[in-house]
Amino acid sequence: MADLYPSIAQCAVVATAFKVLLFPAYKSTDFEVHRNWLAITNSLPVQEWYYEKTSEWTLDYPPFFAAFEWILSQFAKLVDPEMLKVYNLEYDSWQTVYFQRASVIVTELVLVYALHLFVQSAPLAFRRPSHAAALSILLSPGLLIIDHIHFQYNGFLYGLLILSLVLARKKSTLLASGLLFAVLLCLKHIYLYLAPAYFVYLLRAYCLGSKSIFHIRFGNAFKLGTGIIAVFGVAFGPFVYWGQIPQLLSRLFPFSRGLCHAYWAPNIWAMYSFTDRVLIYVAPRLGLAVNQDAVNSVTRGLVGDTSFAVLPEITARTTFILTLFFQAVPLIKLFFDPTWDTFMGAVTLCGYASFLFGWHVHEKAILLVIIPFSLIALKDRRYLGAFRPLAVAGHVSLFPLLFTAAEFPIKTVYTIFWLVLFLLAFDRLAPASRRLRIFLFDRFSLSVASDGMGEDIRVPTANVHEFLLGGWGGG
Amino acid sequence: MAGPPPSPHKPRRKAKKTSNGSDVSSAPATAGRSSSFPSRPAYPLAAFLWPARSSLSQWEILPLILIAVGLFRWAAGLWGYSGFQNPPMYGDYEAQRHWMEITTQLPISQWYFHELEWWGLDYPPLTAYHSWLLGKIGGIIDPSWFALYTSRGLDDPILKIFMRATVIVSEYLIFVPAAVIFVRRLSKLQDVNTWNSSIALTAILMQPGIILIDHVHFQYNTVMLGLVLAGMSSVLAGRFMWSCVFFVAALGFKQMALYYAPAMFAYLLGVCIWPRINIARFLGIALVTLASFAVLLLPIFLGALYDSYRGIDARPDLFGHAAPLPIFTEYSFRLDHQAWYYPIIQQAAQVVHRVFPFARGLFEDKVANFWCALNVIVKLRQYPSELLQRASLLVTLASITPPCLVIFVKPRKDLLPIALATTAWGFFLFSFQVHEKSVLLPLMPMTALLAGKHGLSKNSRAWIGFANLLGVWTMFPLLQRVDLRIPYYVLSLLWAYLLGLPPTSLSVYKQDGHPTWTGFATTTVHILTYVAMGAWHLAEAFLSPPHGKPDLWVVINVGIGAVGFGICYLWCLGSLVVESGLLDGSKSGKRKAKSQ
Repeated sequence: MADLYPSIAQCAVVATAFKVLLFPAYKSTDFEVHRNWLAITNSLPVQEWYYEKTSEWTLDYPPFFAAFEWILSQFAKLVDPEMLKVYNLEYDSWQTVYFQRASVIVTELVLVYALHLFVQSAPLAFRRPSHAAALSILLSPGLLIIDHIHFQYNGFLYGLLILSLVLARKKSTLLASGLLFAVLLCLKHIYLYLAPAYFVYLLRAYCLGSKSIFHIRFGNAFKLGTGIIAVFGVAFGPFVYWGQIPQLLSRLFPFSRGLCHAYWAPNIWAMYSFTDRVLIYVAPRLGLAVNQDAVNSVTRGLVGDTSFAVLPEITARTTFILTLFFQAVPLIKLFFDPTWDTFMGAVTLCGYASFLFGWHVHEKAILLVIIPFSLIALKDRRYLGAFRPLAVAGHVSLFPLLFTAAEFPIKTVYTIFWLVLFLLAFDRLAPASRRLRIFLFDRFSLSVASDGMGEDIRVPTANVHEFLLGGWGGG
Repeated sequence: MAGPPPSPHKPRRKAKKTSNGSDVSSAPATAGRSSSFPSRPAYPLAAFLWPARSSLSQWEILPLILIAVGLFRWAAGLWGYSGFQNPPMYGDYEAQRHWMEITTQLPISQWYFHELEWWGLDYPPLTAYHSWLLGKIGGIIDPSWFALYTSRGLDDPILKIFMRATVIVSEYLIFVPAAVIFVRRLSKLQDVNTWNSSIALTAILMQPGIILIDHVHFQYNTVMLGLVLAGMSSVLAGRFMWSCVFFVAALGFKQMALYYAPAMFAYLLGVCIWPRINIARFLGIALVTLASFAVLLLPIFLGALYDSYRGIDARPDLFGHAAPLPIFTEYSFRLDHQAWYYPIIQQAAQVVHRVFPFARGLFEDKVANFWCALNVIVKLRQYPSELLQRASLLVTLASITPPCLVIFVKPRKDLLPIALATTAWGFFLFSFQVHEKSVLLPLMPMTALLAGKHGLSKNSRAWIGFANLLGVWTMFPLLQRVDLRIPYYVLSLLWAYLLGLPPTSLSVYKQDGHPTWTGFATTTVHILTYVAMGAWHLAEAFLSPPHGKPDLWVVINVGIGAVGFGICYLWCLGSLVVESGLLDGSKSGKRKAKSQ
């Protein structure tokens, strides 16, 4: 296949050079979190992994991620054994920094491979756009900011997600796709946000007949069922055996944390909180009651509960129902049209709904929307129209993660570079839609895209409606 | 920004599907020119700009290139600088910071006299003005950064960000525009297409030496190099007087620009004589040069006069006593210290004395030039320093005379870059008081050749890449002393990778068509040197030098470097002679092949 230049490998080499130069950059507490996990998994027996609390950054990822840290720690031992001591808090010798930073770069090769497969598996006519989309993910400012400066292993995890999505493309690898997604869930449970789409798709495309939904393919259902049970059994079985499941779950799902994360994710609850803050000043004139405790206690940048002074409290149940409702809309379509394209749209929208309505959503979760969406953004211009404001607002909303002066030029200039480069390239590559146009929303998205850099909070909301209607408008 | 995203309602482009299924809507619409494009990119940098082949305007691609190279500069700047937390003297960073301190805190007449043992100002006045401006700006942000005496050795992280930013801003105001304009003019002159010139521009701006020395180790070389490059591009445009202004400014920023002076002088003299003697042009050039020098020195002189009028002594440490002049000491008693013009003479003598330290030895540190390498075989210290200085002067003159003669006899503007590179190599190899960072001077015009006709051909990429990689390699001991191994490896390997050079690729040495002896010789010399460089890195990293010879690795580095640079000098000289056409005649065929 000619003309796919620069190749993914070439971009990976240059991006790696850039990432290595970022070794001395600012690193967040997540760096210490992961160092602590290296220490815990390396120096303690498995039974104690989820009980250890010398550091305040306790292990709160599922068991496979702990195992992943254990594997890394085997190499860490050779680099600097000091980093593997549980009491060695805040330890960051240059060997530790180089090792941890390098481990992010090396494990990101999974993403490179997954993107390569994604381009290879695309139909010939879509190979150029797919290639552009793959490069946009590989060079994503989101991954750069979160993984290579702030510090996390999203490149590796999203690599597995994309691998699973690519495997879902072919009937023959559907089972592998489902099992890989199960593994991914056992690595980081945030991907539960996307699980409903997987559930519906695998149910309909793999376990039920393609002609009639009443034709159950028991063989497939059995394979998938035992496979998933086996995966979860390996992950959680030992903890079930030791009776540690309640402790494990309390670590994985800290519902005691508030509705909004320390830094508000730009979702519906941020707008809700904001409205509440405004109402504190307006309420007395409207004759509404103001809860004085909440006026002083509303968290401003600290982990904890947000309580509302004027508006009704939001419970976890409310967020859960709202999320499920907005996920159900695309899932119904997916159930009746179980194609890969619809599946990708459903994955994106499940991510979107969870991000907008979920409990204690982290701003980093926007990658759950951007990355699957990138893979289908070039399907036609209508998708691109919805993708553009998301790309602008989503990446800008990550800026508060980095607040140090030295990294300011990197996060802003790199994001501008990426937006100019890929929005230009996407614009040249996206074909026209064959569907009806909806002028109102197209115009709206345009205005959002042009001033989106400043106003990230309201954008994703506008965007999801747009996407729902845009994707569904002619369907 | 490349304009707002186009409206989704504009006439839509359907994806065209050709028989092989590929989308050609964005493929080159330049059927007439397509023959000038290869069918596939020959090296990674070409691959990165591959999608840009079709856009005829460079204004789409240029901002992206400038942003990308800027990002690499800033990221490299996150690493440490020379002298970070390294008392007593710290390093180049402290020198530059200290100059901002003294220029903003002291009266102008004291700039060149103030406590010379702590990084006394020893660059020409434009550097002082530049420091003054940056110091003023920085002083607004935080006055403690440049407080007199108390700020010495300051390692405030915010100050570091400010200093890094000043390097980038200075470069983007001077070197980068100069490079963009130079590449444009050269590509127009030699009919190079926009795509190739974009590649050349990226390669020039990603030069590892410049990034490592200016943005990591810390200095402002790009200001001087940029002014020289601006002078070169004025020559391309035929604006000789402007080129004089820029060149004087370069000299006024850093005296190292003198490396280029003989070739520049020979060229400008040449254009006044050939094809016919042009007195008006000669006078114009001479007058503009003198006027530029006058403007350059005027603030110092006027400031000295004003300070003496206000009763501020240039040397308060002497309590009103007069000191003899640092140069022409034996005549200084004839001067009247009370005369109104005395401050000017005093300043002029001091500036010259500070800027040209003739009193120092032939070489100080280990530098990959001829003398340092020779010192390994013959201990040069046993000879009187006058003899060495004279020898150095003679050999330098001998090495720069051929290129100067060629450019004087054939004053063609397209020959100027390579003539500048040749003389700069001559100076670097044979003059005294050379610093390892001075290798940036010959490298700059040599790398600029990438933008010329055949500049991206295998042969010139091989040679320009060889010189650059050898250049950064000789700077490794300097960088490694301040723990900058990683940025060194990353930036030099990245550049080698982008241009398809060893150690990442051997493709530049694959000879198309019938192989030639010169091609074979090039390959042999280069590969041997690269192998030696690689082996040296392994040895330096894993073997400690034998007892009693702690400098062994550095000495080997110097030796290999000097030989390699000597070869680069010869290649530049050979290319200059061949390109000039002086040899066109019976036996030129063989050497011509070398330059292709």
